[in-house]
Amino acid sequence: MIATFVATGVDGLAFGLLLFTVAAGLTLIYGVMGILNLAHGSLYLAGAYLAAGMADGGLPALGLAVAAATLLGASGGVLLDHLTRPLTGDQGHLSQALVTMGLSLLAADACTTLFGAAPRPVPPPTVLDGSVHLGAMGYPVYRLAFIIVGAVVAVGLHWMLRHTTTGMTLRAVIADPRMAAATGIRPTRVRTGAFAVGGALATTGGVLGAPILGPAPGIDTTVLALSLVVVVIGGTGGVLTTLAAALLVGQVQTTGVLAAPLAAPFALFTVMVVVLVLAHRTSPQVRLR
Amino acid sequence: MHLRRGYLRQARRLTTATTVLSVLLAVAGCSGSSLGTDHDRRSGTIRIGLLIPQSGVYKVYGPEIKDGFQLYLDTHGGKLGGHPVTVTVADEGDGKQTAVNSGKRLIQSEHVDVLVGTTTVDSLLGLQSMLAEAKIPFVGTGGRASTLKDISRIWHTSWLSREPGAAIADYLRTTVNGPVYAIGPDYQGGWDQVGGFTEAFTSAGGKLANDGGKTAWTPWPGTTNYLPYINKIAASDAKAVYAFYAGAAATAFVQQYAQSGLGSRIPLYGYGMLTDESLLEAEGTAADGIQTVLDYASDLDNDANRAFAAAYAKAHSGASPHLFHVTGWDAALLLDQAIAAASTGGATPTPEAINTAIGKVGQIDSPRGTWRWSSQHTPIQPWYLRKVAQDGRGRANVVVQTLTTLGN
Repeated sequence: MIATFVATGVDGLAFGLLLFTVAAGLTLIYGVMGILNLAHGSLYLAGAYLAAGMADGGLPALGLAVAAATLLGASGGVLLDHLTRPLTGDQGHLSQALVTMGLSLLAADACTTLFGAAPRPVPPPTVLDGSVHLGAMGYPVYRLAFIIVGAVVAVGLHWMLRHTTTGMTLRAVIADPRMAAATGIRPTRVRTGAFAVGGALATTGGVLGAPILGPAPGIDTTVLALSLVVVVIGGTGGVLTTLAAALLVGQVQTTGVLAAPLAAPFALFTVMVVVLVLAHRTSPQVRLR
Repeated sequence: MHLRRGYLRQARRLTTATTVLSVLLAVAGCSGSSLGTDHDRRSGTIRIGLLIPQSGVYKVYGPEIKDGFQLYLDTHGGKLGGHPVTVTVADEGDGKQTAVNSGKRLIQSEHVDVLVGTTTVDSLLGLQSMLAEAKIPFVGTGGRASTLKDISRIWHTSWLSREPGAAIADYLRTTVNGPVYAIGPDYQGGWDQVGGFTEAFTSAGGKLANDGGKTAWTPWPGTTNYLPYINKIAASDAKAVYAFYAGAAATAFVQQYAQSGLGSRIPLYGYGMLTDESLLEAEGTAADGIQTVLDYASDLDNDANRAFAAAYAKAHSGASPHLFHVTGWDAALLLDQAIAAASTGGATPTPEAINTAIGKVGQIDSPRGTWRWSSQHTPIQPWYLRKVAQDGRGRANVVVQTLTTLGN
């Protein structure tokens, strides 16, 4: 029984980190511009299809796919930035949501037309194929490797935001765009950059996550909904809260369903509601009053 | 002050995020798209509504049903029973709300004479009262729930959802040396498919390996990661697994079952859709050796299947047909015979007359073999045990043996 929980807990870690790579991009875009990018799941799906097309069982092909995905995601981000830029004002949030959602529907249809409705196979690189024993349980090697990569991404992103000029510029724009502009930062350029990085994170997540959550119709909405839950739980506080939220969602979706199978269909949203209520109760905003 | 404004902004954004999320979730449930809005009311024309998944987990099966139906029309001069037909397609989605919205449009706005299609049992459950009110026949091509109330206008060229599991239960009880683990998606289709198995299996003395003898249900349609459930199977004393999954869910389950290393330890059995030909490429080596129960295999040796497979291959650059091509084809074949019988003196038959004629159709010369109606308005047909193996052209479901014939 303990072995089952350990293996499942490890899986929750892998799943959580996969969500983190996607949700981190979503938070970044949301934090910098207040734009909820509902086409974010489509970027993941594009990355996953890219992996399906390029993967040949070797690590170089995977590396190449990651490079291509970074480029694709960054250009997708820049494009989305330009498309949503005019949509500001009172109706801004709604217009942005509608436009990005419309784009995601178009992208989903384009994917079906191009790649068919059947799920596409994305085998992990041969060296990472197969399973290892975690106690008495078998566990896919690729997911273990993904945990390492996901952790590197998380640490790298945190370091970038905390300790580099780029990160400080980003944080400045998030905190107060006008003041940032007054110090000579160009917020529009920072916004485009954030969209590009966020998009690249989603497509890269798609390439690396494809052997775990592979390309198929509907995966874009699955990924988007889970990332939105992560953003709602984690808020826009930074990489660490997003990471914590993603890991929490990962565990709820894995050990959660193992411990309480009956609660599985609504466990995630129960957790979300609980976190929202607690966050509201303890938020400094309330204490200030 | 500045601090407070920051928090307020964050709180406002959070509210927006939550609102948008709920809207998104609501919209995901009813994103009905539709093709074709032909209001053809010329006399003599029969209007067919085709309700098939164009989105959701079962999306892969939508084009198959449509292609099967269309292939029959194309090879029979575009007519059914001597009448020209118009076919209006609408999205079934994951059943439930999308199917209800699309069905409502087909029935109440397009005024179809016959409604054809569906994969998941949920769709018909949501539409049954509307169909009864409209008094039009329904020809189903997918699962049939055990909980339908009135079947006087409901016909399925496919099967009863409890049949596949019942067909394989005795085989597993007698050949597997030990308890069997049962798992499936948590909705009516899963309850029927897996329930059909567990009921027949345990009532004959078989033992389930599940905790407390209760089938493991996975949330539907949201589950994409099956490893937690597979880990639970590994921790049980199961000697075999019986699973019902279809579409994208089947691919995910089969791949993760193999990745967990369980494939070589505990043999996986399931309903035929688990390794449907449309999914075999994606499943790859993970599917090898999986044995499933189905009422069709592409290599069935009979005249109708040879002619059907040849016609399909000609229209689709050499590909072989799958089960849902057959149920779609059979729906058109059935309607062809029924509409012909109902058209006395060349008049255009009413939906009521078509329905009566459907019930009187004696034999359907299907690619599955010849079948006739059971008292449940589904085919009396044999069920086959198939195993995924190389058949010379690639990975395929090769018939191992005939299990039993069901229906009465």
